[in-house]
Amino acid sequence: MSQSQEAKAIEVSDIEYSYGSTKAVRGISFSVDRGEIFGFLGPNGAGKSTTIKMLTGQLIPRSGRISILGMAVHGHSAEVHQRIGVCFEEKNLYLQMSAEENLRFFASLFGIRRPDVKGLLERVNLASRSRDRVSTYSKGMRQRLMMARALINEPDVLFLDEPTDGLDPVSARAIRTIIREKAHEGTAVVLTTHDMYEADELSDRVAFITEGRIHAIDTPENLKLKHGSRSVTVRRRMRDSEVEELRLELDTDTFSRKLAEATASGTVMTIHSEEATLEDIFVEVTGRGLE
Amino acid sequence: MRLILAILKKDLIEFSREKIYMVLSVVGLVLFAVVFWLMPDTVQEQTTVGIYPGENPLLIQALDEAGDEDGLEIVRFAGQDDLRRVIAGNLEAWIGEHGRTILRDRSAGERAPENARRVSPVIGIAFPDAPVSSELPHARIYVNNDTPREIRGAMESMIREIALAFAGAPLPVTEPAEDEIILGTDRLGRQISMRERMRPMLVYFVLMMETFALASLIAAEISQRTVLAVVATPAKLSHLLAAKAIHGISLASLQAIILLVATASFTTGNWFVLVLASLLGAGMFTGIAMLVGSAGRDFIENLFFTVALVIPLAVPAFSALMPGVGAAWVRFVPSYGLLNILTEVTSHGAGLSDLTIPLLTSLAWVAAIFGLGLLVLTKKVRSL
Repeated sequence: MSQSQEAKAIEVSDIEYSYGSTKAVRGISFSVDRGEIFGFLGPNGAGKSTTIKMLTGQLIPRSGRISILGMAVHGHSAEVHQRIGVCFEEKNLYLQMSAEENLRFFASLFGIRRPDVKGLLERVNLASRSRDRVSTYSKGMRQRLMMARALINEPDVLFLDEPTDGLDPVSARAIRTIIREKAHEGTAVVLTTHDMYEADELSDRVAFITEGRIHAIDTPENLKLKHGSRSVTVRRRMRDSEVEELRLELDTDTFSRKLAEATASGTVMTIHSEEATLEDIFVEVTGRGLE
Repeated sequence: MRLILAILKKDLIEFSREKIYMVLSVVGLVLFAVVFWLMPDTVQEQTTVGIYPGENPLLIQALDEAGDEDGLEIVRFAGQDDLRRVIAGNLEAWIGEHGRTILRDRSAGERAPENARRVSPVIGIAFPDAPVSSELPHARIYVNNDTPREIRGAMESMIREIALAFAGAPLPVTEPAEDEIILGTDRLGRQISMRERMRPMLVYFVLMMETFALASLIAAEISQRTVLAVVATPAKLSHLLAAKAIHGISLASLQAIILLVATASFTTGNWFVLVLASLLGAGMFTGIAMLVGSAGRDFIENLFFTVALVIPLAVPAFSALMPGVGAAWVRFVPSYGLLNILTEVTSHGAGLSDLTIPLLTSLAWVAAIFGLGLLVLTKKVRSL
């Protein structure tokens, strides 16, 4: 096994970056395994985009170290770029060119002689419009083309910035399916999103970032277990026809007894289990919301 | 090189899809060539003077013997009022057989005479009908209101000369009077026509149009942030800038050369210098396009910045059209050297050795503007 095959997909060690006197990233460290989907969550201005720009070689960190597939990003930028795919938040496509021309152009930058343009466009459901100019595409179609472009070089590491932003549910589901498939094939995916549901559904691990610092990194399940509470809400009709609602904390010693008592008295109408959302956890851990 | 060629190919596809630039380029070239060939290729070098000699036999004899000199045609009138009306434009004067002056009042429906050529005196000199022999003749000069000042001055000198001859006094010059020293190329009979003078200006306009097209391409790359997608691949910003530079210089110089071919400029002088000047001009305007593309975000902003930068640079082009009217500061305009080179080659047949200094000066300006364009564009992309 070569060094790059043994190494983690991404290793970030104590990176910092400032815009003038404003510190955008303050000593961030994390790693991402091959085949892992890593959610990067934070509000606007938290330092997500700056971190992604450093990871993709567009910015050079003031301090710290970044390696992708075992290669230092700023020493081997051409080799690193050859093996990564980036899906930007802004739909930065060449509008006067067709989808096919866009993909062929980017394939040529990667030195791919015979790119599977048709297969990629079929995968994102754009094959029937492949020769139309991108300027005639809807927002959703452009986003799907962005995804296809990020996959043109069959990357080992995929950076996705808000990949389903503004998409209809069907298109969003199609994109999520592709992300899972790529991860299953061994591609490391760094996902930046505001959509907590998406992050929860897709990510193997998530990192919470605000003000240039990471506050927590773990699997969504562990974060919920550590920081959230689970409960059961029982609605019952009492003998005097009054409707009563009981909220029982799940992670307590007395839960089973209290639930038995609640269901024994009165007529049970509904029982709902509730668990903290990732957004609740984010607020609890960082002390602020995602807006 | 592979990456630069790939970006260049993409740029050409994008350029070809923007109909407005394609139309501007093609129609512009055709129109400029048509305008060039419609311009007069000759220069009126002869000044026509109308003279009414009165009853003075000496003067009549002198006029009969003199004939027309180089650059001066004398038309004799039989009446002072006829001369005045011709200069005022109320009568037409024609020269018929044996040099006879024929007058026609076209507003009264009189037809043009046959076998005659029309003459248009710019000034008229009328001598007294019956001069008193003891006095110097008192001549009257009729001047059209658009007669140039220098011709009026020349005519006054001529009348003084005639007056001295009448008085029997010799001219205050040493014989032979034709001790003429020509400074520079003697262009007598070969004056530079308006058509020839237009060449540098037309080349300038072609380069200007290409500047606008390239600036728009760059501005779109920045405003749509496609440049970020390119630099996230193995291509670097330097590849992108190199492709833009090659695109701008090759398209602009190609169009300038096509125009020079269409206006038969390569037959007038050193083709190598013309090609060199086209390349330098394309380099200068590519630098300007990078500056404009970095600043403008849409069509209107690009147009504004292009005009703001290109109009001051156009001043030497207009100076070439009207030699002698340009102020001294025009020499310090960056485009002056290039336009001077084009003028010297196409109008005066100058060669490489004659133009070493203007070429070097232009090269320095091109390097400065192109370098500034690259610097500003690089900073702009890095700030995205």
